[in-house]
Amino acid sequence: MTIWWQRFKESYLLYSFRRDRVAMVSFGVLVFLILVGILAPLAAPFNPYDADSIDIMNSEIPPSWMEAGEKSFLLGTDIQGRDLLSTMIYGLRLSIMIGCGAVLLQALLGVMVGLAAGYLGGRVDSILMRLADIQLSFPYLMVAIFISAIFQVAFGIGRYEEMAVPLLVVIIGLAEWPVYARTVRASVLGEKNKEYVEAARVIGLSPGLIMIRHILPNTMTSVLVISTIQVANAVMSEAALSFLGLGMPVTKPSLGSLIRSGFEYIFSGSWWITLFPGFLLVILVLVINLLGDWLRDVLNPKLYKG
Amino acid sequence: MKKILVAVLTALLLFGLGQGVGAKTLKLGLDADPVSLDPHVQLSGGMLQYSHWVFDPLVRWSQDMRFEPRLALRWERINDRTMRFFLRKDVTFHSGNPFTAEDVRWTVERLKKSVDFKGLFEPFDEVKVIDDYTLDIITKKPYALLLNMATYIFPMDRKFYSGLDETGQYKDAIVKIGPSFALSHASGTGPFRVTFREQGVRTVFERFADYWDNGSPGNVTKIILTPIKEDATRVAALLSGDVDFISPVPPQDFQRIRRDKKVKLVTFPGGRIITFQLNQKRRPELADPRVRQAIVYAVNNAGIVKKIMKGTATVAAQQSPAGYAGHHPDLAPRYDLKRARELMKEAGLKNGFSATMIAPNNRYVNDEKIAEAVVSMLAKIKIKVNLKTMPKAQYWDEFDAQAADIQMIGWHSDTEDSGNFSEFLVMCPDAKTGYGQYNSGNYCNARIDELTLAAQSETNLARRAEILKEIEKILYDDAAFVPFHWQNHSYGAKKNIQVEPIVNTMNFPYLGDLVIQ
Repeated sequence: MTIWWQRFKESYLLYSFRRDRVAMVSFGVLVFLILVGILAPLAAPFNPYDADSIDIMNSEIPPSWMEAGEKSFLLGTDIQGRDLLSTMIYGLRLSIMIGCGAVLLQALLGVMVGLAAGYLGGRVDSILMRLADIQLSFPYLMVAIFISAIFQVAFGIGRYEEMAVPLLVVIIGLAEWPVYARTVRASVLGEKNKEYVEAARVIGLSPGLIMIRHILPNTMTSVLVISTIQVANAVMSEAALSFLGLGMPVTKPSLGSLIRSGFEYIFSGSWWITLFPGFLLVILVLVINLLGDWLRDVLNPKLYKG
Repeated sequence: MKKILVAVLTALLLFGLGQGVGAKTLKLGLDADPVSLDPHVQLSGGMLQYSHWVFDPLVRWSQDMRFEPRLALRWERINDRTMRFFLRKDVTFHSGNPFTAEDVRWTVERLKKSVDFKGLFEPFDEVKVIDDYTLDIITKKPYALLLNMATYIFPMDRKFYSGLDETGQYKDAIVKIGPSFALSHASGTGPFRVTFREQGVRTVFERFADYWDNGSPGNVTKIILTPIKEDATRVAALLSGDVDFISPVPPQDFQRIRRDKKVKLVTFPGGRIITFQLNQKRRPELADPRVRQAIVYAVNNAGIVKKIMKGTATVAAQQSPAGYAGHHPDLAPRYDLKRARELMKEAGLKNGFSATMIAPNNRYVNDEKIAEAVVSMLAKIKIKVNLKTMPKAQYWDEFDAQAADIQMIGWHSDTEDSGNFSEFLVMCPDAKTGYGQYNSGNYCNARIDELTLAAQSETNLARRAEILKEIEKILYDDAAFVPFHWQNHSYGAKKNIQVEPIVNTMNFPYLGDLVIQ
């Protein structure tokens, strides 16, 4: 343990992190957001999922500093009378869970397929890549409708609410893995004829070890870049799915569906319903992107130590 | 050179405007334009609106839901199955042909052939022409709604529509998709004739010079109808002055239109009731009338109308809106949380139960938000509701399969009559007769069935109204369903356009009678 810690303290990663202000700030904000999300029941002034506490007569109250605002609702309320700040915090938790979960699943599937296809080549490559083509030719909405139809037959509408998050992770994860598979395959093709791979082969390492220990780290650059984009994509896909009745139930809005439901009020004066959640989502996606950028630079051997 | 050109153009423009004095043009912006000039091609609100402009019905509904004589001057019941109509004598079609009883007979025959209308005209047996201006309409059984149906009979010009067109097709063919004579030609007796039509772009109506109704106050000489599908664009077109009259107005823009000095907002209660049905077969707790009452008491439908519908709906406690024969004036909305909790306690369900709910999210105005609000209202009496919302394309399959314990449905009576609600929504479901076809609550009360059937053949209208009112009272006491509201129709117009007298429950603005100051 202490050795690991020692190594980490002396690593280039930490060194460059401490010298990069943007990375430090982004990291701080991200940790803060994740903490707030995880601790939502403690951080939020109300529990927006407790339907009992919501009163329709409190709907569309503006933020507390405005004329008609109320002190107890700091950022105002939405159309159902939910406290907007609390709903945003709970929604943030959902969005982080769905976004990160789906991206992890995508990355896991995609990287495995991409590595195998690129390194082994030949027939394996053709089969895996055709599979990816087939998957890409299905719009993800179709995949979603298909999976949720099966789900509904299996469990019924009653259990939908508790199963919605894992279901969304699986749907979005399954729909987008080819993005990873193709990119990883492309970089593997570029790497596999380089001297270090040949050297590894010459000393008799197994293909699996070569793929994971030697090639994979060199493809990580592009994987990280895609991941930052995919998290944002997954959050927005979830909002689209919610509209089709395939995402989160309306009683548990995620950030995405909160923003969407606020669109129609923006011209009629209730701008806060969409603006604040939108702001939060922008910050979330921005810090993930900035961190991804920084990580890419650090991990790029061509830039390594100047 | 340029300056001269501008001057000439300006002069032309002024001259053009000068000519227009006395002519009142109405620029109309609706969400869609008529799909065809043939009124029998589609049974829809839009087509019936159009029918009222270019054709005239035998009778029509007035604003207070009475029958107003149009082409029929008066009528009398001869026996249980027969009604005699006496027609106006001074009426000519747009083509110049005189209007006679034979045209009415021909129109009813054609209605019975139309895919969309033949269901409504099923009870009709035949039309017997007595002389040129008298006719008998005979039904297969005693039928109370004969006059209601007469509002759907817009006599068409028999001579104009007979024979073959240049492609060798009969001119009276009812063609849903593809070209036909009636698609692009119309001859009715109505206040306006169509002078230009490019579907989806613009339709121009001009006032018919020989229109029979000299008593009509209407002074619009020309209507330019432009379909504007996007809600926000339609409102913007009104506010910028591109159009004079729009419908519908999206609820979120009501305040904007009210605030603007140049335009006004006019709303009129419509006939579509929004309800939730409580499925007693799926959820045994809902078979207990006390639980159903508790739910009705727990639902603050006045709050929903105020906050979610922004006042664009009329709070309901029964199926029939005001003006309908069955509207019971004593039935008031009942929101009382304390009473609701007591009822739950009496029913032995102090700790509540959980139930599933489905609702569409693009069918009715704010449908999803209403359902969401109900979830939190029911949570207050410890009923935990799992809500799922979906687009209408998927919703109706789920509704028919009765996939959830609580399901949303909105209903508008085709016949503008109370009986229609009960026949489809609360009679015991019976696959053979088709009654109770949309009764997903499986509410079943022999007395209601008996009364509804009695109302169908009761031709004494006063007695019939009593029966229909009794039905509403029983449903209210039994809490057969959860009533929410009747959606309002909404219109936005410039201040000088007198919209108020020409709108009605059916959403058929009678533009022939429209006055522009």
